[in-house]
Amino acid sequence: MPRSAAREGSPFTGLGPVFLKEFADHLSSARMMVLMLFVIAFGAFPVASSLQQLRTVTESDAYLFLRIFTTAPDRVPISFVFALNFIIPVMAIGLGFDAVNSEFNRRTLSRVLSQPIYRDALLLGKFLGGLATLAVVLTALWLIVFGAGLLLLGIPPRGVEVARGACFLVAAIAYGGVWLAASLLFSVIFRSTATSALCALGLWLFFFLLWPMIAEAVTIAFAPAQIRSAEEFLAVEQVGLVLSRFSPGALFSEAVIGLLNPETRTFGSMLPAQMRGVIPGAPLPLDQSLILIWPQMTGLIAGMIVVFAAAYVIFQREEVRA
Amino acid sequence: MRRLIALLALATASVLGSQAFAQAPMSPVMQGLFLLTDYPAQTVRAGEIATIRVKMQNSGLAPEPMALTLSGVPAGWKIDILGGGQPVASAMPGQNESVALQLRVEVPKDAKPGSQQVMLSAKGSRLQSAELPLTLTVGTETPAKLSLKSRLPSLRGTPRSSFEYSVTVGNDSGKDLTVALSAQGPANFQTTFTEGFGSNEISSIPIEAGQTKDIKVKVTPPRDVKAGDYPVLVKVAAEGATAELRVTLQISGQGKLALSTTGGRLSGEAEIGKTSTYTLVLTNDGTAAVDEIEMTGTVPTSWKVEFNPRTIATLAPNEKKEVQVLVTPADKAIAGDYVAQFRAGARGESSSADFRITVTTSTLWGMVGIGIIAVALLVLLGAVARFGRR
Repeated sequence: MPRSAAREGSPFTGLGPVFLKEFADHLSSARMMVLMLFVIAFGAFPVASSLQQLRTVTESDAYLFLRIFTTAPDRVPISFVFALNFIIPVMAIGLGFDAVNSEFNRRTLSRVLSQPIYRDALLLGKFLGGLATLAVVLTALWLIVFGAGLLLLGIPPRGVEVARGACFLVAAIAYGGVWLAASLLFSVIFRSTATSALCALGLWLFFFLLWPMIAEAVTIAFAPAQIRSAEEFLAVEQVGLVLSRFSPGALFSEAVIGLLNPETRTFGSMLPAQMRGVIPGAPLPLDQSLILIWPQMTGLIAGMIVVFAAAYVIFQREEVRA
Repeated sequence: MRRLIALLALATASVLGSQAFAQAPMSPVMQGLFLLTDYPAQTVRAGEIATIRVKMQNSGLAPEPMALTLSGVPAGWKIDILGGGQPVASAMPGQNESVALQLRVEVPKDAKPGSQQVMLSAKGSRLQSAELPLTLTVGTETPAKLSLKSRLPSLRGTPRSSFEYSVTVGNDSGKDLTVALSAQGPANFQTTFTEGFGSNEISSIPIEAGQTKDIKVKVTPPRDVKAGDYPVLVKVAAEGATAELRVTLQISGQGKLALSTTGGRLSGEAEIGKTSTYTLVLTNDGTAAVDEIEMTGTVPTSWKVEFNPRTIATLAPNEKKEVQVLVTPADKAIAGDYVAQFRAGARGESSSADFRITVTTSTLWGMVGIGIIAVALLVLLGAVARFGRR
């Protein structure tokens, strides 16, 4: 690509107006209302059921508030966290799948870019607008859950529970960011909004349904015919874990388990030698839990940035004067 | 009849041999009715009841009722003739048989010392009769007297051992006594009495006249007693008579170890692969010095534990000593809470403390994670620099 002369000024000029416009468009759109209803329907049901179950718990639990998120009630086989694991991608894809190509199709892209706004600012503004919308929705949902917990359990959460909940919220937003970046990438690649939506949803379904099975099949294929020692078993299990971690959903699940179940020491199995002297059920301090899930968080955040960078490079090289 | 006996005797003699044959003609042939008693002259005590056993023997006579009478009973005395526990007036022994009788003699309290003659006579209807003169002497009462002996009056032990003394109590008086048992020891010493071979605690024991009984005195000293000799006075008492015995406890001191930390906090943190130091405090709460104390520790697999110092030569009573313990979690340890047990052991004495160790992971990998995010951002910035501002 011939570059006659490098243009002057910050590449992010005009980021503010684009971001605000996108944010406002999202919040007022009918699509947003539908997504909101979808989220509330899927989120409220497990939370209401788990709260009902927690109200009958009599034993003292230092982390009762966190159990609202993780308890899978008897009658409803999914927990709130599990529900989030698939509603966040759907919401993120819904926000991002037509971010760029709809502008193409409405022929508004060249009009926008004729303003003193670089493409950098346009794409980043669209991404940040979507991310901010996602953050608003998730924070609102999070506050509703905490409020319902306060109301129905009648006890205030402890400081460390709020801190763990806040970290969980950050993990959820990062997870949404990955899928938002992915759908943005598809909206840059494909001119047709339907194709990009289909591709994004297809990718999500692949990781949500197919990838765990593929990871397991590959692990079994590469495992030795006979597992002789605990170390060997652990090595095979490790391979399976690493494979499954290519899915953002698996990373999000592990991060959530580490944050909301403070008793989690490790995601794999522990050797009997490592188990000796362990005080069972002793919660990890918050900083140790954060160190435990830090690789997962790193994966989510870095993945989000890399996918966005890919979308950015493709968008910059595209011909927009249609 | 006599011929028959002789014949029988001969028949027996032929079987039993020459010795029996020689005795056969010497069998008694006395005929008559006799009143018999073992001790015709007896001592009785004023105010008490004496029982005299009498036997009426019929040797070779035809049985007939014999009327029993007493004569010469002193004024104020009451003597009953009893047969089979009931007052009787006559007796009828069969041929060559005897009837047991008892004289129940009630001596008045104010009976004067001296001898009294009483005649018991039996009279049959066919001019048969027998008489038994009895001499009853009113004597003075022998006072109650007790004795107390122990074979091992001095025992040695630690404050935690129990001291058991075998004591023999003797009733040296002429009548049965119920003996009360008591003991006087230093403050907080506990004493209990048990039967010689029983486990029941007793406070008194009946002993028949002239007999002895074995009892056990168990003395439990308080745990914190200082070394030294402690006397315990064992007392028995009955009806004004007492006996005393002094037993001695030789208590040697004993050390007692207690393991703790300076603040009493039994938890700490340790980072994986790095050595953490905790300070333990070893105290001797006992009454004697503890020698050759060795420190040991039980930690999870492939952890390292060291003590500084590892051995302590001697620890005097009420002395404190600080011990540094160095714990290194294994490189492959997983963050979380673990239990380690530290022990101080000497001969016959040990103390242990459970220590809760919170294992933390190093933040190195957290830095690596931030580095990866920074690299991703750099990629983005590179893309902006390469393709930006279009």
